Amino acid sequence: MSFEPAATAARAESATASRSPLLSMRGVSKRFPGVLALSGVSIDIYAGEVLALMGENGAGKSTLMNVLGGVLTADDGEFTLDGAPISLGSVRAAKGHGIALIHQELMLAPNLDIASNIFLGNEQKRLLQPLARTEMNRRAAALLARVGLRLPPTTPVSTLTTGQQQLVEVAKALSVESRIIVMDEPTSSLAAAESEQLFAIIHQLRADGIGIVYISHRMEEVLALSDRISVMRDGRNAGELSRADASYDKIVALMVGRELSGAYFPIKTEKEPGEVMLTVEGLRVPGAPEGVSFSVRGGEILGFAGLVGSGRTELMEALFGVTPGHGGQMSVEGQPFAPRSPRDAIARGVYLVPEDRKRHGLVLPMSVAENASLPSVGVRARFGVVNRSADQRLAETEVKRLHIKTPSIHQKVVTLSGGNQQKVVIGKWLAMSPKVLILDEPTRGIDVGAKAEIYRHMAELAAEGIAILMVSSDLEEVIGMSDRVVVMHERRLKGVLGRAQLTQQRIASLMTGQLATEGLTGT
Amino acid sequence: MRRELGILAALVVGCVVLGISNPDFTGQSNVVNTLRQISMLGIFALGSAFVIITGGIDLSVGSVIGLTGVIIAKLSSHESGGLGHSLLVAIPVALGVALLIGLAQGLLITRLKLQPFIVTLGGMLLIRGVSQTVVQGATLSLGASPLVQLANGGLWSIDGDPLIPYPALMFLGAIAVGTYLLHFTVFGRYLYAIGGNRDAAKYSGIDVKKVETLAYVISAGLAGVAGIAYAAYIGQMSQQVGVAYELYAIAAVVLGGCSLRGGEGTVLGIVVGSAMMRVIDNGINMFQIPYEDQNGVPRLWRLNPNWTFVIVGGVILLAVVLDQVVHIMQAARRTRGAMPARLPVNLPKEPARPPLGG
Repeated sequence: MSFEPAATAARAESATASRSPLLSMRGVSKRFPGVLALSGVSIDIYAGEVLALMGENGAGKSTLMNVLGGVLTADDGEFTLDGAPISLGSVRAAKGHGIALIHQELMLAPNLDIASNIFLGNEQKRLLQPLARTEMNRRAAALLARVGLRLPPTTPVSTLTTGQQQLVEVAKALSVESRIIVMDEPTSSLAAAESEQLFAIIHQLRADGIGIVYISHRMEEVLALSDRISVMRDGRNAGELSRADASYDKIVALMVGRELSGAYFPIKTEKEPGEVMLTVEGLRVPGAPEGVSFSVRGGEILGFAGLVGSGRTELMEALFGVTPGHGGQMSVEGQPFAPRSPRDAIARGVYLVPEDRKRHGLVLPMSVAENASLPSVGVRARFGVVNRSADQRLAETEVKRLHIKTPSIHQKVVTLSGGNQQKVVIGKWLAMSPKVLILDEPTRGIDVGAKAEIYRHMAELAAEGIAILMVSSDLEEVIGMSDRVVVMHERRLKGVLGRAQLTQQRIASLMTGQLATEGLTGT
Repeated sequence: MRRELGILAALVVGCVVLGISNPDFTGQSNVVNTLRQISMLGIFALGSAFVIITGGIDLSVGSVIGLTGVIIAKLSSHESGGLGHSLLVAIPVALGVALLIGLAQGLLITRLKLQPFIVTLGGMLLIRGVSQTVVQGATLSLGASPLVQLANGGLWSIDGDPLIPYPALMFLGAIAVGTYLLHFTVFGRYLYAIGGNRDAAKYSGIDVKKVETLAYVISAGLAGVAGIAYAAYIGQMSQQVGVAYELYAIAAVVLGGCSLRGGEGTVLGIVVGSAMMRVIDNGINMFQIPYEDQNGVPRLWRLNPNWTFVIVGGVILLAVVLDQVVHIMQAARRTRGAMPARLPVNLPKEPARPPLGG
């Protein structure tokens, strides 16, 4: 990244001092069933400034952004634009005030072309009038030039890369003359060159006087790009730093609420590694360029680091039989293992706590007891009849063991908080004596307290001799929890690092592909 | 249970009003006849519910009812066009065909990942066409077949009229088996789990394809059982028997608290929903208000039967609207009662921060 932070900071300070905010939020609160997502949050956004919004998963960044964009309505709070009070009751209202949202999951219609997407909902025509295609394409071409995307406006969006789609989203925001553009993790699935291009566009927008809210987990980006950094924690303002004051350590301290996060993870005790539990040799995951090989012992926590799209989830789904791998060999406790479906994997004691727990982990309208017992309900049944009392004892046991906060085991899981939902997913496998437990992003969207508890349970499970595979995008978590770390990049296995080699820089340079493959021989 | 109890209360109130309005409503012949109608609808509505609970839909139910009856008539009738076989041959063959139809549709839906709506729509038309070719556009009479006794006979006859018609016994059997399957077995738990979240069910190691296929087999099977009862009741099988019955089944099931999104519903609700549908039907004929015309002659005001569909449709919409309103109100109350996000347990309390100033 090639801009001068010092100059930007100076500019930001003078701007903040001399001007009143473009948009100001005061005391914004938002409740969801079971959780207070925002509690009295106040944020100012200035024209011609990049405000970075940081915080751990579940800190309330996305909720705040959705309130700002009118997707969610705040329960409490005041909004002023140019000093005049406004309401942000709907997406339309927010758009009318010049606020544009660019979601992490891009909101484009893949079946339509670029121009149609840019003007979707803003065609400037009555419902039954024909579309002004020529005019749309002409204006779209101008907008595409502004964001540096050299493609004809008639290109179908389905043929674009994620980075190009991101730029289409920016063009769409510009098409309605937005004064504030909110970007949620815009670089999470971009290649380095695409990110650079996006940063250049952001600088351009800032120079044009647009207020930019930039939500990201990537510290380097935030430090380089933003004029001001606002940190959120547990739905509250944790603090604000100007570019000049900001440092990696200060931001982390605000995010986690303390200077050092070492105490957060269970203390590692040196222990005898157990028997090899799972070996994978040359497994070809569909879509991967080459096979992967690694092994994990009982009692070991093997971390998987990598960027979004590095193929970690796909690898885990192959291990769990969701999308069976082709080629290669696997074994569990020395016996050949080739799961064709989750049933096969479960039969061998290999369980997955999926990345998307609401989609793959839980039946939301069912109770805690029904969810916890779901995979093993048939085991306890007699002649096909559900053994309710045994199922409920199992649920009680897991609720107690994992400290699941629920009024009763008959509570529907949809009403529980993210952390407690995750514990229910873990609980349903613990009841079935796992040999290999795969945890894909186990603490995503979970508050800090519940996170610490999940870490503690992971350490306990490992101590019981279970082999744990943990996929995580949180480097601190990977380093804090893992005995060894597999680093993946573009669906390849880039390295296996032992405990002594675990540093953020080392993992980061491997997972971004800056460092050549290393340590592949380590097992 | 909220939805079930609500519709049950509405049913009881409706019956009381009808009973007061017209003493014939509670007369033996009307009660027995309505009970028979409820039972025949309830049997195949229960089958449809198995599919609806998985989040699917079965549009072929009415056609399967028709085909079952047509096959029985064709095989067993001694009248013209019939083949004169024993009912002991005809009924198993007809039921077997129904189960095979369910299996074929279930396999198409689960193995080829086709949409249930399209597969069963195709099935509905195709099976109806098969019935048509069998009867050759005419009617097949069951004549004096002993099967006719099935619909009209029953237990505890008073003056030759049965108090409990046989279809009601069949329905009781279906209720018992349905309750057992849906509410007590692992199979039932899996049906609800698939309807609630198909992916989570798969990730929990459930053989989703098998369970789902079985739901379609059960739906078609119970439609076949209902088809036997309708054949006995009608006696004259034409290609028209059972047309649009799948929609009555869906209406009854939804009235009874199932969601077309899947994962919801109880046997009690399905029974009450079926009863509601038939009592509305019957009530439209029965409801009357006595009044005196301008000459002082006592007369009876009755509903115009042309309003039947308006009333049935209105009741269904009213039921789902009320249900949704209650649902939204409950969700809002839950949100208001939400607790603040918990602070970390193992972390020291940080000093209060000054509020951000602007």
